[in-house]
Amino acid sequence: MADENLKAILEQQSSEYKELYGFRDEHKYEHITKKGLTEETVREISKIKEEPEWMLEKRLAGYKIFREKPTPTWGGDLSEIDYNDIYYYLKPGAQKADAWENVPDDIKKTFDKLGIPEAERKFFSGAEAQYDSEVVYHHVREDLEKQGVIFTDTDTAIKKYPEIVKKYFGTIIPPSDNKFAALNTAVFSGGSFIYVPKGIKVAMPLQAYFRINAEKAGQFERTLIIADEGADVTYIEGCLPADEIVSRGDTFGRIDEIKKGDTVPTHKGSMQTVNETFVHKHKGTILEILPQSKGNGFRLTGEHPVLCVKRNVVLTKRKRRGTWKPEVSTKELLKAEPAFVKADDLEEGDFIVYIAPTQSSDDPLIDNKLLKILGLYLAEGSVSSNKALRGIKSVSFSFGKSIKEAALAREVNSLIQGEGWKSSVFRTNGGYYVVSSYNKELVALCENNCGKGAKTKLLSKTIMNLPPEKQFVLVDYYWKGDGNTYVRYGKKLKRASTASRFLAYQIQEILGRNGIFANLNIRHSSKDRILGRMIKRSDQYIIEYTEGRRIGEVRKKSNTFLVPIKKIMRHAFKDLVYNFAVSNDESYLVKGFAVHNCTAPIYMSSSLHSAVVELVAHKDAHIRYVTIQNWSKNVYNLVTQRAFAYENAYVEWIDGNIGSRLNMKYPSVYLKGTGARGEVLSIAVAGEGQTQDSGGKIYHLAPNTSSKIVSKSVSKGSGVAAYRGLLHIAKNASGVKSNVRCDALLLDQHSKTATYPYMQVYRDDAVITHEATVGKIGSEQLFYMMSRGLTEDEAIATIVLGFIEDLAKVLPLEYSIELKRLIKLDTSGGVG
Amino acid sequence: MLEIKDLHVEVEGKEIIRGVNLKINDGEFHVLMGHNGSGKTTLAKAVMGHPSTKIKSGDIIFNGQSVKDMSADKRAKLGLFLEFQAPVEVEGVGFVNFLRAARESTTGSTVDIKQFMAEIREYTDKLAISGGIIGRSLNQGFSGGEKKKAEILQMALLKPKLAILDEPDSGLDIDAVKAVAESINEIYNKQKMGLLLITHYSRILNYMKPEYVHVMAGGKMVAEGGQDLILKLEKEGYDSFIKSNGKRN
Repeated sequence: MADENLKAILEQQSSEYKELYGFRDEHKYEHITKKGLTEETVREISKIKEEPEWMLEKRLAGYKIFREKPTPTWGGDLSEIDYNDIYYYLKPGAQKADAWENVPDDIKKTFDKLGIPEAERKFFSGAEAQYDSEVVYHHVREDLEKQGVIFTDTDTAIKKYPEIVKKYFGTIIPPSDNKFAALNTAVFSGGSFIYVPKGIKVAMPLQAYFRINAEKAGQFERTLIIADEGADVTYIEGCLPADEIVSRGDTFGRIDEIKKGDTVPTHKGSMQTVNETFVHKHKGTILEILPQSKGNGFRLTGEHPVLCVKRNVVLTKRKRRGTWKPEVSTKELLKAEPAFVKADDLEEGDFIVYIAPTQSSDDPLIDNKLLKILGLYLAEGSVSSNKALRGIKSVSFSFGKSIKEAALAREVNSLIQGEGWKSSVFRTNGGYYVVSSYNKELVALCENNCGKGAKTKLLSKTIMNLPPEKQFVLVDYYWKGDGNTYVRYGKKLKRASTASRFLAYQIQEILGRNGIFANLNIRHSSKDRILGRMIKRSDQYIIEYTEGRRIGEVRKKSNTFLVPIKKIMRHAFKDLVYNFAVSNDESYLVKGFAVHNCTAPIYMSSSLHSAVVELVAHKDAHIRYVTIQNWSKNVYNLVTQRAFAYENAYVEWIDGNIGSRLNMKYPSVYLKGTGARGEVLSIAVAGEGQTQDSGGKIYHLAPNTSSKIVSKSVSKGSGVAAYRGLLHIAKNASGVKSNVRCDALLLDQHSKTATYPYMQVYRDDAVITHEATVGKIGSEQLFYMMSRGLTEDEAIATIVLGFIEDLAKVLPLEYSIELKRLIKLDTSGGVG
Repeated sequence: MLEIKDLHVEVEGKEIIRGVNLKINDGEFHVLMGHNGSGKTTLAKAVMGHPSTKIKSGDIIFNGQSVKDMSADKRAKLGLFLEFQAPVEVEGVGFVNFLRAARESTTGSTVDIKQFMAEIREYTDKLAISGGIIGRSLNQGFSGGEKKKAEILQMALLKPKLAILDEPDSGLDIDAVKAVAESINEIYNKQKMGLLLITHYSRILNYMKPEYVHVMAGGKMVAEGGQDLILKLEKEGYDSFIKSNGKRN
């Protein structure tokens, strides 16, 4: 019974899903159960799936246990899960496909972002993709099928292989094991079913991908893997994002290109890291704020706070004159502390804050002489390649005809020659002065630091990081080339124009750093007829300032400028708006003006992932089960994983936990046969606001069994990483060897770790070792690495990667790289 | 190139460096000698920007700009290098990978790994470092001598403009001191960098020819001169300098 209303709400909400990686697409679901869980829901799911009666009975039994069992009070806070606010079953509007082309486009797009199925072709024997409740894609290599390997989704297995399913389902993890295992039994959907026959070794891993797309949705997959005698299989489940890491630009970039981990300048002038990015659809009014410098106008939503001094608190007692707003007392204005005010509450005449953050990492190789050359290049220069000379590049500076221009041409020529580079000045037939040079170093210098064409000229990071006084040399010479000076009221008004928008902002910023506020205005593109020729002009950005005098009502306050708003316009708007969270200072600059970032990452509502994974390794069989879990940070990941290992069998759990809000997962191995081996290797990274409660459980139930648990956890900020493990050695289990090691690394003084090892040992002859270490990133380690040129973030990431290296290298290469990349992203942001 | 101007440095609230001046021009080879606890290492750490050193007054100018407020990585990028007396061990971080990351961040360009490995081998041969350390984690399981040699190897590969060597001879046997000294000489002659060698034994100086010698005591420079100063030190010991200067601490 589909609920049309809910369906509509669900689809509408999708655009507000604000999690990084939790990009969400608007999929039309074919079937959605009602929110909340009743016996009715359980029956409905079973009915949709056309399941046999015996499965419905198992589900109902599970439901009953779920209702009776209390929610665990250990591990993490589960009290916020509202079981009545979750959709338990969402059926994508698609039939399962066995060829990638047949997967519906929107779903395909989602998984393409996650790097599937390319990965499948390269690394795996088979793959399966689950979208919310249902498996949408499934594929296994033919040769494996011929050998009798079964790799299918659990729903299909129930119908096609009922005997095997009946024999094992719920025997390794009975619904009575815990509340979430019971819940899974009641509402499970999807998951993998694998059967590897006697003696078959599957060389390449089998792979499954899971994705929760809808908000407030639960995903409850059920996986069952059986390796028959002597069989060997590796299974990998993952949930991987594939967003690109972009460079941390120091220039002005589009907000929709800003990514988590970038650094941006804030209203305090410091560089801070972007923690989260958000996109949502905005329908309604958008404000356009036009300050005195109209070229800096920006648009934002009404609720977005802007750093501001309200005009009405800094007025003089004089009355308004003509068109002038009531006058402002400079003294009061400079005394007033700017505060964040909602854009909706801004009024024309209020002062907003322009900031030109200073970077200081000087490049001694770029001296004033080179800066003069670059300044003139910015104004008059271009790089071209000469076809006749097989594409050899040259730099030329084109000056006018006047005596002053001739002097400039001679100056740049002698500056170039002063560097030991060849160049020459000549006069064109029209009488223009041109300086040109084929010197490779000069070409590279100009191209690398200033760009090529008029519209795309842009100052390099090196230049933008120079000390302000050096930058001023460049701007001064730029002005000599491109600028005009007008005398007005005995003061010099300086004006220059450029077709490159970002260059204009950069020059404005450099002037700002040097204590000068420059107005920026735009002259929009136009067509003109001059001397019978059609001239097309592109948008021109005009920069102007008055030397030694403030411009308009702008006031300088320490290293910021208070700039009056000239006009506020309201537009109807229907499109995406962007925002992001910035560490520490909680603000960023829009075209130089300080605005507040979003208040905090908002967890609209949480999703629940509660899977059950059952493994059976018969005599001599080997199963390796790998999970890289990077769920969005609003997901509760409560998973039960257990394996039975019979005589001489070997089971490995490799468990990487990076994502989710709360993760509780303790893969376990029951060593039931003589000589069986069990291993749990787990890596957990708990970032801001996350709890990773993970570990492993081993039950030695037969003689000569051995086990190993290795846990490595990293916590950062308010993140909590805990190891929780159980070692049980039964009375009859002689000759047991067990080795438990858990290491924790704390990245700062706020982060926490805990170790809860439980042991139930009923034998005296067991050889057990347990080691636990807690480390902090030492300041000596950081200093050592930084003294060799690594930035603090790079040094931290390197130390963290080193810490987990021995576990990461067990993973298939692609996963190892991906894990490292995720950890790099997660740990950047500095210590403390 | 490096100019230290009336530098006062505190460590944990205690003033360790009390007004040091030092100037090292391009390509010059200086030696800084002094008792244990005279402030040599603190001075080296302050120049590199160790977080425990708090500069109370004075300035450190490198290539025309003040570096005293820069983070260590920025100083490294400008061409400063510090050889550590006791380099830290970092688990799991491959030595070669680290060298490569350091080279890439100091030069700002990507490294051709084949060529880079050849360069590494050249110096491991010269320094008589066993090839085994190449496969190990950074400084982990290196013997005392290997750690020192690995530091010199890093200096050779990172090509700094000024290298400060903080007791590269401590804990080395006689043969190793000679090998390290000769390698430093060779790198110095080849790369034409500035060098500030810190030591309290004159043993390593049997193999090296510094142009300038400074003696430190109680956080101050107490004597400066040429090579003859080393002979005098050897004959009379540090105490005579301290006494003749009237005070210690």
